[in-house]
Amino acid sequence: MQWAIVIAAFLASAVEFVEAFTLVLVAGITTNWRSAILGALGAAAVLAVIVATLGVALVTYVPIEVLRFVVGFLLLLFGLKWLKNAIQRYTGLKLIHDEQAAYEANLAEARARGEPAKTGLDTFGVLLSFKSVLLEGLEVAFIVISFGGSGAGGIGNAALGALGAGVLVIAVGALVQAPLKRIPENSLKFVVGIMLTTFGTFWGGESFGINWPFADLFLLILAALYLVVSGLLITGIRLRLPRLVKARATSPATTLVPEKGVQQ
Amino acid sequence: MNSVLRAIWRAILAVYNFFVGDAVILIGVSLTMVVLAMINFLGGLASLRGASGAILIVGVVATLLFTLGREVFRPENRQPT
Repeated sequence: MQWAIVIAAFLASAVEFVEAFTLVLVAGITTNWRSAILGALGAAAVLAVIVATLGVALVTYVPIEVLRFVVGFLLLLFGLKWLKNAIQRYTGLKLIHDEQAAYEANLAEARARGEPAKTGLDTFGVLLSFKSVLLEGLEVAFIVISFGGSGAGGIGNAALGALGAGVLVIAVGALVQAPLKRIPENSLKFVVGIMLTTFGTFWGGESFGINWPFADLFLLILAALYLVVSGLLITGIRLRLPRLVKARATSPATTLVPEKGVQQ
Repeated sequence: MNSVLRAIWRAILAVYNFFVGDAVILIGVSLTMVVLAMINFLGGLASLRGASGAILIVGVVATLLFTLGREVFRPENRQPT
């Protein structure tokens, strides 16, 4: 068992599952659970086909060095994006992503359509659920293929991590019946950003023949290094923009840097 | 024809936003990889191969620094008076 891959895939996938679950919850409450669950299951089936075909083809036909380069490159892009957004939220450059607010906004938007709850299949409910699960699930699929494609038996370990995250999020969501607001989402995203960047650097380097000191243990050193650098950046930005941070902390309605349509 | 081009452009933008959504990160990581490839494949730069790991890490950290720096210096993020 490659625990580093299982844990990394678990954490990264958990974030995506939380986002997808929030929208499935909205679809279920505003239309009906039958439509929401059907949409989610349809998306899950499409995702299964994507993972089965792309995952197997990648591991079977592409040389490991090429795979490591592509995976390392993409993980670095993903990781730096997540890390940047998490640091921006810690420093007040961007609002902390609030699943409760997102849930309420989506709920209000859905209710504004003025349609009463139906017991039969509802197109909007099915599509909302399908779209959210497919989009977030694609990110999970990418995480599984990326983490899994760089070592023997990796796909299985990464899939196990993602599956564990999915089961946990669904179980917790079903138990509390709320938009999972208690999960410290930005902290989770920050940790995931560090891990993705760490793995991206490690595998990207290996594709160029770099022999990292202490072999796989260097992953911990890299993670610690990126953690320290991120901590210094957060401190530096907070020192540079203390009034901005204070203003945004006390006034959620303050003008924010637009998200540019990027989903994490 | 225009609608086809628009659809292709939208698809490219969607892929870009899905994977990165930030030009500084894309350029920074790409440049780092190009430098590493040159060090790895060009005989004249062979003496730098021992420093490839450090160059990669510096490239990643510099990319993070630049992209956050760009956000800090945006007009929207000027200090309130």
